[in-house]
Amino acid sequence: MPSINVVFFASLRETLKSDGVSVELEQPLTVFELKQKLAQQLDQPVLLEDTVKTAIDYDFARDTDIIDIETVHEVAFFPPVTGG
Amino acid sequence: MSDSRMINTQTISVQEADFNVQTLYESLCVPHKTGAVAMFVGRVRDFSENPEQSSFVLEHYPGMTERNIEKIVAQAQQRWTLLGVKVVHRVGELGVDDQIVFVGVASAHRAEAFAACDFIMDYLKSRAAFWKKEITPKASNWVEAKQSDEDSLQRW
Repeated sequence: MPSINVVFFASLRETLKSDGVSVELEQPLTVFELKQKLAQQLDQPVLLEDTVKTAIDYDFARDTDIIDIETVHEVAFFPPVTGG
Repeated sequence: MSDSRMINTQTISVQEADFNVQTLYESLCVPHKTGAVAMFVGRVRDFSENPEQSSFVLEHYPGMTERNIEKIVAQAQQRWTLLGVKVVHRVGELGVDDQIVFVGVASAHRAEAFAACDFIMDYLKSRAAFWKKEITPKASNWVEAKQSDEDSLQRW
């Protein structure tokens, strides 16, 4: 079964006490569906909060974007960015 | 496309080390062509009652952060005629009065240089994978994103 890396950053990493997990996926799903799946698996409803932002293979993504399990390597979840 | 429109790795640096503005300025100037250089430096302000004991930790997402900045610079280069762009963003632990970020833009005339520097800095704030954490003797807090930074993008 194809698997993807899911990584967490900043305050979200600290809340989840995890840098990331590997997730096995049977079929393509949306970003929001992945959030739901992980929130349930990790018992972390924080992943469903509006403030949790997403990147698919280094590009910012929306909740409705599809994760193609054949081509995607890494999905990241993180709080709003605060650089500069 | 001229060479000046190409993005190479020397354009962008995400690094722990400090940077020297004079060196960056000199690297931006193209002999006989550069008529204007606009530069911005972001610094760590005092954010607590104990500046000597306060620091920032800047976290980034290696790979994504560089890609975000490359895209922002490419957009600026499409929009304005630029002779050179340099972006340096520091990560790791920084103290009060340390330099955080440098954006420099060279062009023939000042209007392009000012506008592109402002544009790149605005997008760096809201579209590049960096996160700041404030650390004081009493507590550590992740800095929250400001709506005013997101709103500022509407100018472009």
